[in-house]
Amino acid sequence: MSLDLETIFAGKRAFHTNLAERPIAEKLRMLDALRERELAIRGRTAPSASFVFREDPALFRPKPQ
Amino acid sequence: MRIQEVIRTINQMQADGVIERYAIGGAVGATFYLEPVATLDVDIFITFNAEAGRLLVSPQPIFDYLIARGGVMEGEHVVIAGWPVQFLPPHSPLVEEALNEAVTQDVDGIPARVFSAEHLAAIALQTGRAKDKARLLQFVESGKLSAERFQAIIKRHHLVAAWDKFETQFLTP
Repeated sequence: MSLDLETIFAGKRAFHTNLAERPIAEKLRMLDALRERELAIRGRTAPSASFVFREDPALFRPKPQ
Repeated sequence: MRIQEVIRTINQMQADGVIERYAIGGAVGATFYLEPVATLDVDIFITFNAEAGRLLVSPQPIFDYLIARGGVMEGEHVVIAGWPVQFLPPHSPLVEEALNEAVTQDVDGIPARVFSAEHLAAIALQTGRAKDKARLLQFVESGKLSAERFQAIIKRHHLVAAWDKFETQFLTP
């Protein structure tokens, strides 16, 4: 493992190239799997009123005299 | 859930004369050239078989054909083999040309008509959403584009200014 950014970027590029070069049938199977995973994640995190994160509004009050 | 099943069904629909011609576009089309990127639907561009005596073409025969074979309507999509499939008529001269010049690729023995890499890149440039720009960048970096062919397409479809802007924004150090 390297902490050199150039090496890291080169590794990432190689990984993406390798994925792109896979046989088409294999890449389409990956799409099937990606969609299933995406749907599973969406199902689990479907927005509901009780689950919404809200930030309390800032309080602006006049300075005490 | 299998895209290959979708392709087989579309081929059969073409063989049965419901559609004249088709080509896969969008993220699934791009996957034929690039790394796979998650997508929720399949975009199929088609030319309709106009019914005799009718001036307006309707997608209804497609829906009827697919529903009779187990497809399910879901909004504007027909769900085939678990995938929502959207059928799109060519909406611009560029897409029309892409459909005419689509290439046949082999998927484990199943023929699939797909937009060429250059047309997919030009359509991404024309559409211009953030995800389209990301896709165009992927095409450029992948080295899968024929520069000559791509330049000819963007010239023909008046996209040179859009390309110059994209180049300045993303490809100029």
